[in-house]
Amino acid sequence: MSSQTQLAGGTTDVDALVRIERLNQEYAQRRPLTGVEFKVRALDDASLTIRRGATLALVGESGAGKSTLARCLALLERPASGKIWFDGNDLLKLRRRELFPLRRQIQLIFQDPASALNPRMTASEILAEPLAIHGEGTKAQRRERARELLDQVGLPAASENKHPLEFSGGQRQRLAIARALALQPKLLILDEALSSLDILNQDLILKLLTDLQAAYSLTYLHISHDLRLVSQFADEVAVMHNQRIVEQRATLDLFTFPAEIYTQELLAAMPSLESICAGRQA
Amino acid sequence: MTSPRKPWAVLIGLAVFHCLILFAGFFAPYNFAEQYRDLPFAPPARLHFVDAHGKFYARPFVYALEPDPANPGVYIANSADEHPLRFFVQGAGYKLAGLFEVHLHLFGVEGSTPVFLMGSDAYGRDQFSRFLYGGQLSLLAGLLAAALSLVLGTLLGAISGFYGGWIDAVFMRGGELFFALPWLYLLFAVRAAMPLHIAEWQVFLLLITVIGLIGWARPARLIRGVVLSAKERNFVLAAKGFGASDVYVLRHHVLPQAYGVILTQMTLLIPQYVMAEVTLSFLGLGVGEPMPSWGTLLASLQQYYVLSSYWWMFLPMLVLIPLFLACYAAADALQERLKSVPL
Amino acid sequence: MRYITRRFCHSILLLIAVSFFSFALLQLAPGDFFDAMRLNPEISRQEVSNLRLEYGLDRPLPVRYERWLRSVLEGRLGFSLASNSPVAPLLRERARNTLLLSATATALAWLLALPIGIWAAVQRGRWGDRVCKFATSTILAVPDLLLFLLLLLLAVRTGWFPAGGMASASVDSLGTWAKAKDVAFHLTLPALGLALTLLPVLISHIRTAMIEALDSPFLLAARGLGIPPARRVLRYALPAASNPLISLFGYSVATMLSASALAEVILSWPGLGPLLVDSILSRDVYVVVAIVMLSALLLIVGNLIADILLFASDPRIRTE
Repeated sequence: MSSQTQLAGGTTDVDALVRIERLNQEYAQRRPLTGVEFKVRALDDASLTIRRGATLALVGESGAGKSTLARCLALLERPASGKIWFDGNDLLKLRRRELFPLRRQIQLIFQDPASALNPRMTASEILAEPLAIHGEGTKAQRRERARELLDQVGLPAASENKHPLEFSGGQRQRLAIARALALQPKLLILDEALSSLDILNQDLILKLLTDLQAAYSLTYLHISHDLRLVSQFADEVAVMHNQRIVEQRATLDLFTFPAEIYTQELLAAMPSLESICAGRQA
Repeated sequence: MTSPRKPWAVLIGLAVFHCLILFAGFFAPYNFAEQYRDLPFAPPARLHFVDAHGKFYARPFVYALEPDPANPGVYIANSADEHPLRFFVQGAGYKLAGLFEVHLHLFGVEGSTPVFLMGSDAYGRDQFSRFLYGGQLSLLAGLLAAALSLVLGTLLGAISGFYGGWIDAVFMRGGELFFALPWLYLLFAVRAAMPLHIAEWQVFLLLITVIGLIGWARPARLIRGVVLSAKERNFVLAAKGFGASDVYVLRHHVLPQAYGVILTQMTLLIPQYVMAEVTLSFLGLGVGEPMPSWGTLLASLQQYYVLSSYWWMFLPMLVLIPLFLACYAAADALQERLKSVPL
Repeated sequence: MRYITRRFCHSILLLIAVSFFSFALLQLAPGDFFDAMRLNPEISRQEVSNLRLEYGLDRPLPVRYERWLRSVLEGRLGFSLASNSPVAPLLRERARNTLLLSATATALAWLLALPIGIWAAVQRGRWGDRVCKFATSTILAVPDLLLFLLLLLLAVRTGWFPAGGMASASVDSLGTWAKAKDVAFHLTLPALGLALTLLPVLISHIRTAMIEALDSPFLLAARGLGIPPARRVLRYALPAASNPLISLFGYSVATMLSASALAEVILSWPGLGPLLVDSILSRDVYVVVAIVMLSALLLIVGNLIADILLFASDPRIRTE
């Protein structure tokens, strides 16, 4: 079932869609009274590999650097140093024009869908926007594609003229996912995408994501602090602590034989390990 | 302001007023420079429907005015000399939209007696006509200057807020310079920097530029604030994630958040800028004779005898009060609407 | 303390920037003071150019700025071509008069606005508040120009107030107390007019700030504790609202200076305003620059005072 290969950063593997090598990031902040600048480290030599078609979960406590990693990968931030390989391309070396076609292949889903969708636009406009930016199709064709996307995520066709705030939280997240799918990406990064939803919706969206992954051979990087959730759907888990990746292994391996101390602490805080293992092995 | 329960009444009133000004040539019976030298400082005409014999006419008429030999400066109406008011008359020529020469006026009076709806000034010029023509100048100057300030302010504020860094520092420090001076002093200073005696249309353009340029700092700061908070929104990041260019993001996602602020600023700036032009012209630093501006219409009030004896010279200003009230009411209504729009 | 020194240095820099900006701006203007002379056939071209050279009007901009700067530091503030004297003495009296007028008007405005604003906030929604709103909107809609002209009309028609000027003709023969009363008498109308122009804005902001303070949780707690309303308003809500009000004070100084220029011209109060207008019309450049600088100085000082007051009153800023 799971390949026993250890895929921590550094090893070449043709199956890897993403390889992050020794990423560093820091932010400048000022001390309030004196105005003296000091640096906050957000990523410390973080390395990660994501296999093609797999679901990698990135776990860790808040402040560990998970979101920063996600944003660097999604090209929303430029790391201070390190390498990001995507599908054989060294992303940080490419120029803007070369990067443009690659951007469609990596999409980020935010934790709060309401903030990620422009409240003044209709659902149809939101879904058509990425297509418009990449100059695909005529206006009518984009509208049609927007309808297809709505259908794929299970939203009613009538909602195409609604504004984001007219949807429920779960529906909004579906809309965000639909938008991410518009450009037929290879990698979907979900930054705590399920955290703001209730349990029922979490399950529904998870199911949707699984279906989509099968249909379109998607690769997922799933950032979460909820280990219970992670255990249900992830193929591999990477643990992040103090701005670095301390461990990356197949889910079952990690849960049953955690190598690092921190991982052990993390797991110890979780309930009922046995039932989870039982479910996984089936 | 009492929240207008009927905002439409205000808007329609504003529209009607602007129409009057726009087609000043049609609504004004006389040209702004036409003089009736023997009727200086004539009081506003009284329209009568009933003549000296008690007969009622549907068409209003005015009596001819003659100077009172006993009281210099006072006029008595000659009840024997009636001049009916006619509508859609042919009168002095004026240019419609600066292109067509037209002679049609809404109303006028037969014979040589003029009808001064708002009285006349020292040269016997019809104040009503001058008010309408002056409106073309003052109102237009105010509108254009406000537009200039806003365009400049939005541009600089958006660039400052969006890019930050040294650009932001330079623009905001520059803006501080403009804040450091009381605006009327700044207005005077900039006006002083311009040549005093130049052609009419140059003066007009100059005024607009001067007034518009000094006022960019406040809108810029407000817009910068909006842009700063908007650019961090996740939907902006999402668009960037798709590879949208900065210009696209600014145009489609960031600036629309500022529309409300821009509109409110517009309604607040217009009265202020109109008054700036009026003040400059009033003090002799704006347009000169015979160009009518609401400011030059009032300039004669600086003389005591005009101030105390000829009350109708105040009329051009008094009419502005409801105009400004309407502007502020519109601004209030806009602020209310803004609060309910989801951000 | 560091905050204060930072604001102070910032103000000095700003003042220097304003000086250069206004100086450069005015020197860019085509034509100069002697242009009017050129129209006079009796004065030859040669004489005009000689005069120009004498007053150094032909030198390049940086040289002129440097000479002017030196003159400022020596306390002379440049040279007035129209009055044939250094600018400083001309300004001294005028500046004093403007300050007197502005300060009185500001004090008057705040004295009136505070109680009205507080009362409107307490009365919010009821008829008192609505009457206030209506009155302030009306006053706001009346242009400053019109207001001052109307006051002048009032003076001329009724004779209750002097129609301008700062002192009566016979002022020199009066004793000090009588002189002061005379000046105050002349001050009434301009100060009243100026105060009226500022009043609507002040009242509306004070009202808003008070309402916000009255709505805050700790005020409700005070009510729950049974503290009487007057005490709640004055000793709890008002201090809480003081932060925006102090910033408002800085703003009121700016508006006051601006409006005072117009009031002085119309009501013939011998301040900086009329001098400025005359200097512009006669192209007496150095006077114009000096007045602009002075107004900037007054404004900057006003804001600095507001900043210091803010610092002293709001503990949050001190711990920042």
